[in-house]
Amino acid sequence: MRIVEKGCAGGRTEGILFYFPSISEYKMPQDYDKDAYPEPPRQTPVVDKKTALPNTSLIISKLFYYSVDLPVTAFRDAIDSIRNKNKFHYYHQRFRRVPELTECQEGDFVCYYEAEMQWRRDYKVDQEIVKIVQHRARACQQREGGSYVQNCAREYQQFQEVARAFQSRYGDLGAYASARKCLMKQKERMMAKAQEA
Amino acid sequence: MTAMSVLRTAAAFAARLNPLKRANQSSHLLSRAVVRSEQVAVRYESHGKRMFVIKPTEFYDGRFLKLMRYYVLLTGIPLAVFITFVNVFIGEAELAEIPEGYEPEHWEYYKHPITRWIARNIYDSPVKDYEKMMALIQKEAEKAQMRKRELEVRRHMRERGDGPWFFVNTLNEELIDQGHKAVPDE
Repeated sequence: MRIVEKGCAGGRTEGILFYFPSISEYKMPQDYDKDAYPEPPRQTPVVDKKTALPNTSLIISKLFYYSVDLPVTAFRDAIDSIRNKNKFHYYHQRFRRVPELTECQEGDFVCYYEAEMQWRRDYKVDQEIVKIVQHRARACQQREGGSYVQNCAREYQQFQEVARAFQSRYGDLGAYASARKCLMKQKERMMAKAQEA
Repeated sequence: MTAMSVLRTAAAFAARLNPLKRANQSSHLLSRAVVRSEQVAVRYESHGKRMFVIKPTEFYDGRFLKLMRYYVLLTGIPLAVFITFVNVFIGEAELAEIPEGYEPEHWEYYKHPITRWIARNIYDSPVKDYEKMMALIQKEAEKAQMRKRELEVRRHMRERGDGPWFFVNTLNEELIDQGHKAVPDE
């Protein structure tokens, strides 16, 4: 995860793209990343009826199907057929990279503004990255059930790294966070590191 | 007085005639007999006598809630119907990749048709907002720079005294008549 120790200024373009290779190829967003959310093995038991009693679970499932599932699907198909006549699309906006705060001349307030806006967009993106990694860990835990401690070690480790990186970069900036404060935080981090060494 | 007694006898007669049909309960008030409370016609009460419950008025609360419901639903129902029709007949947009060489308009980045309409007709495009903000910042930056320069210039002029500001008007030396000072008094 390229958020680790990369700092507030610079090194952003590669960050997300290298980690999620599927985004760099143009894929339709409906298909989720199959490697991140693997399907659990099917556990449908073989039907082996030994009694003459009726299978109540089958009855209930058929009841549910005819009373709830079919009407709802029919309604949705009806509405979709109306909607399909005028279909239109929306796109995901891509922003150009502008010079960072460190590359701005002193007193060039327009450059400061652009850098600040870019930093805010990157902040939002990083928040979403953390949410996605969290979601993956949670999904893995749900999938594995009791044995999540061993089987989900990779997801949990990734989440821990990402959360640590996020905390170290954007941690206690607060509600009025800005690119400048983030830069100052980075400076403090670097100073602390230099002092340790 | 006599009218009352006539009414009373008439009521008692009516009550005696038809003990089952209790048409007018108030006739019992006129007769001198005491009303046996257990014999009062009960329909949906389970048991016990009928009570006259004294509670505080619900008139004002009821009126307020009725009026509130009325005014909220006056615009609420048309709005809900409109939004339902938009969602059913127009529907939300679908996410797609940006085709090659195509620059989407600024409203084509939103999903819901009403949001798109607002972004298209009411709001300025985010690019325009960005540029407006940058223009404002540049103007303010220029103003700040000019003010700083002015303060600097004032400081210099005040210090050196050779500028167009901060000098005291002195008389022209050539106007002073030095004639009578040429020779000392003796």
